[in-house]
Order: sequence, then C-alpha cells, then structure tokens
Amino acid sequence: MQRNHEKLTLGWLVRHPLVATCILLALTIALPYLRVGERLKLLTFLPVARASGDVAETPYEKLSAQQRAQLDLARERERVSLLETENARLREAISQHDALRSLAPAFAESPLPAAVTARVIFKGDASTWRHCCWINRGRKHGIEDGMPVVAGRSLVGRVFMAGDEHACVQLLTDPGFAAACIIVDPDDPHVDPASRVRAVLRGDGSAMPHFPRLELEDVPAGAPVKPGMHVVTNDYSGQYPVGLSVGVVRETIPQAGFLQVRMEANLDLLTLEVLQVLLHKRPELEKQALALIRRKK
Amino acid sequence: MTAAARAAYPRNREIKWRGRIVIGGGVLLALVHAALLHHLKLEDFTPDLYTVAALFLGLFASRHGRYGPSLVFGLIRDFFSLGLLGSYAVLYSLLHKAAGRAREKFDPERVGNVFIMAVIGTFLVNFGYHVMLALAGDGVGWSRALARCAGTAVATGPLAVLLFPIWHWLLGKCGAKRSGPFWNI
Repeated sequence: MQRNHEKLTLGWLVRHPLVATCILLALTIALPYLRVGERLKLLTFLPVARASGDVAETPYEKLSAQQRAQLDLARERERVSLLETENARLREAISQHDALRSLAPAFAESPLPAAVTARVIFKGDASTWRHCCWINRGRKHGIEDGMPVVAGRSLVGRVFMAGDEHACVQLLTDPGFAAACIIVDPDDPHVDPASRVRAVLRGDGSAMPHFPRLELEDVPAGAPVKPGMHVVTNDYSGQYPVGLSVGVVRETIPQAGFLQVRMEANLDLLTLEVLQVLLHKRPELEKQALALIRRKK
Repeated sequence: MTAAARAAYPRNREIKWRGRIVIGGGVLLALVHAALLHHLKLEDFTPDLYTVAALFLGLFASRHGRYGPSLVFGLIRDFFSLGLLGSYAVLYSLLHKAAGRAREKFDPERVGNVFIMAVIGTFLVNFGYHVMLALAGDGVGWSRALARCAGTAVATGPLAVLLFPIWHWLLGKCGAKRSGPFWNI
C-alpha cells in the first residue's frame, strides 16, 4: 500500500482548514491567557462597532440637518438617561441609607471606585448561549479587561475585551461569568459579618435575560438562606468591589450536600442604555494576601 | 469527497452565489440572532435560525466546496459571539459531514425528513457547543444543557420545514442552477 508522505507545512494547514481550526480551538481552550481568539475577534468586530457609532464621531458641521437632529436627539437621550440613572441612584441611596448603615456599614458606606460612563451601542450575541453588549468607551478612556460594569449600584457584568474606543461587556447571565457574593438579610441587620453566607454567582446562559433568573453555587446545606434576602458582591476574589447589588433570593431548594439558591437579578439587561465601568483593577496576589493579613489582625 | 461522487456530479463552471450566500447570509443571520431573536422572550425555545441555514448548506450546497462554506459560515458566527473562536466553525463542518451522510439515506426534500434532520442537527450543534463550554470550564450543568438544547431543537424543527422551501424558491429566482440534487452554490 502506498503511503502518503505529505509534509506538515503552512500550505497543508491552508488546504485542511478544519484541522487548522481545531488547532486554534485547542490553543484557545488550553492556553486561555493568550486570548488568541478574543484578539482576532476584537479586530473583526471593531469596524462594526465603529460603523454603529460613526455619526457620533463625524464633525458636527459636516452632518446634514437630519443627521444633526438625530445626533442631538441621541445626545439628549443619553443625557436624560444619565440624569435618570443618577436620580434613581440618589433616591435609592437616600431611601436605603439608614437601613444599609445599620445592616452593613463596612460596605454600604464604602465609596465606589471612579467610573467611566458609557453608552450601549450594540446588544446581543450571535450565539444562543452567550450574552454580551458593546459600549462606546475603551482603553483610551482608561477601561481595561476585567473591570466591573454597573448601572447605578447594581452589577451588570464585566469588561470582557477592550479596544481603543470600544469594549465588549460580558453580562452576568453569560455562562462564563462568575462573581463571589454574600447573602444578607435586610430584616436582621445585626449579623456578624464573618458568619454571612457566601456563594458564587454564575451565569447560566439563560435565554431570557429580562430580570434574569440566576443561581448561586457553593451554598452549604443548612445555610440560613430564605426568599427575600439580598445578594451583593463580595471582594473575596478582588475582582469586584464589595457591596454591588446583584439581586434578591426567590427560592431555595435543598439538595444532597448543598443548597440550590435561585434568585432574580435587579436589572432588566435588555433595556440598559447607559452603563458605568468602574475603574477597579483586580489587586495582585501579594496585595490581596497583605489585605487579608491586615483584616485578620 | 470520493472520486465516484465527483464523477456523479461533475463540477459546473457556473457555480455562483456561494460567497454572497455564505458571507452575506452569515453576517445577516448573525445580526438577526444578536439583535432580534434574543428579544423575543421565548426563553429556552428560541429557534436557532443559523443552524438551519448551516444544515441547508450541508444538505444542498455543491459538494465541490467540501466543508469549506460550512466552516466559514461557522467562523462568521464565532466572530459575532463571545464564545471560543472556531467552536461553531468545527461544529458546522461536522454538521456538513453528517448531513452528507444523512442525505444518502433520507430524502431531504420530504417534510418529515427535514423536520427530523433539523431537530437532530440543532440539538447536536447546541449540545456540542455546550461540551466546548464545559471544556473551557463554563458549562451550565449537563441536565440543564440537555433541557435547553432539546427546547431549542424543538423550536427550530418547524422553522426548517417553513424555511427550506422558501430558500429553494429564492435560489431558483436568483438563477442558481441545480446539478443533480445539489444547488451550484
């Protein structure tokens, strides 16, 4: 039988694209820190993002009357939306200030890091599993990969990849999203912070991200969790600042060895127009260890 | 593609529309998925229109393109998605190969066969995607994934029955020629 002695060259890979794609996929899975796929995608998607934001970047004088009117309208909408968000945030802050003060002074009074306000320019994802949106702010505005994204004081997601002027936000319903959380009881403010129930929030790729129903993982069996309790982020991993509101516990189902906790998020992700990217960087390992040691002392 | 199959369906020099259908159709469907389908509030029963189109390519596109068009079609979806680059490309290439085998036994012009192929194809593609998610550490749990994939597949089956005749008609209107059971695309 005659054997085929084809050499493995770049030309061979071009003739066998499926093998090349499998290698790319394997590299992406095995070496996630290289982020090969993300970099390629960013290069491709940015023209689309720029196209959708073209009018905002064209000099005002060059636009037609209709385009100017559209631009003015978009700017006014953004401003109104910003003011409404701020208004709602302030009202919420005023109404909850006293309760949160007595409930958890450690995080309720902690100021949030500086934020960059951004407009959502594209919502949705071509896959039925993943959930993301694109915003009109990027590295030029100080945004980096992994930064938390919020609306008011509610968590929306994190920056997945940042271009110069645009960034992709991974929403909290995406299966790749995870955040350390604590569960607090608004009716029992005098709980020892050390005994609060900790959990991990993971997106489940829910196909309906309207007031998404999420699940908390790693809740031990017998933990004192009941419907109506609030879920907020924890700074255990350093990824998110403590005290960002996530949602409310709706249901608890005891399972073998753990407690299944279903919750409803605070935000309707599809109606979001304006977001804030918190300029919060995940601390390096050494800094995180020092902070933990200081806290124990 | 085997030599016998090449001989059975000689290459038509007038192959056209392939690039436009794969790239234009792919981008259009990706935008429809991203901008429209997520907003329909169908929960787990959101149809997977993109996979129906990939199945159509796998069943009816000229065999001379091999799995290339399906791979490019999948890559376009990957580029418009947050997931691993290449996952849909590999899945649609495999779907192309599976569709090629399936059409040898089942006539893809019959409504019942189209429905069954669409349901099975959509289920396998979505479940395969979840397998890749799980490999990357982002799985949502096997029972939940099975339920979701089944829901998507059931919602997609009737859509394929509706869309396949429309696409055949459109290709005919566009002047694409048929070479045996395949369109010259």
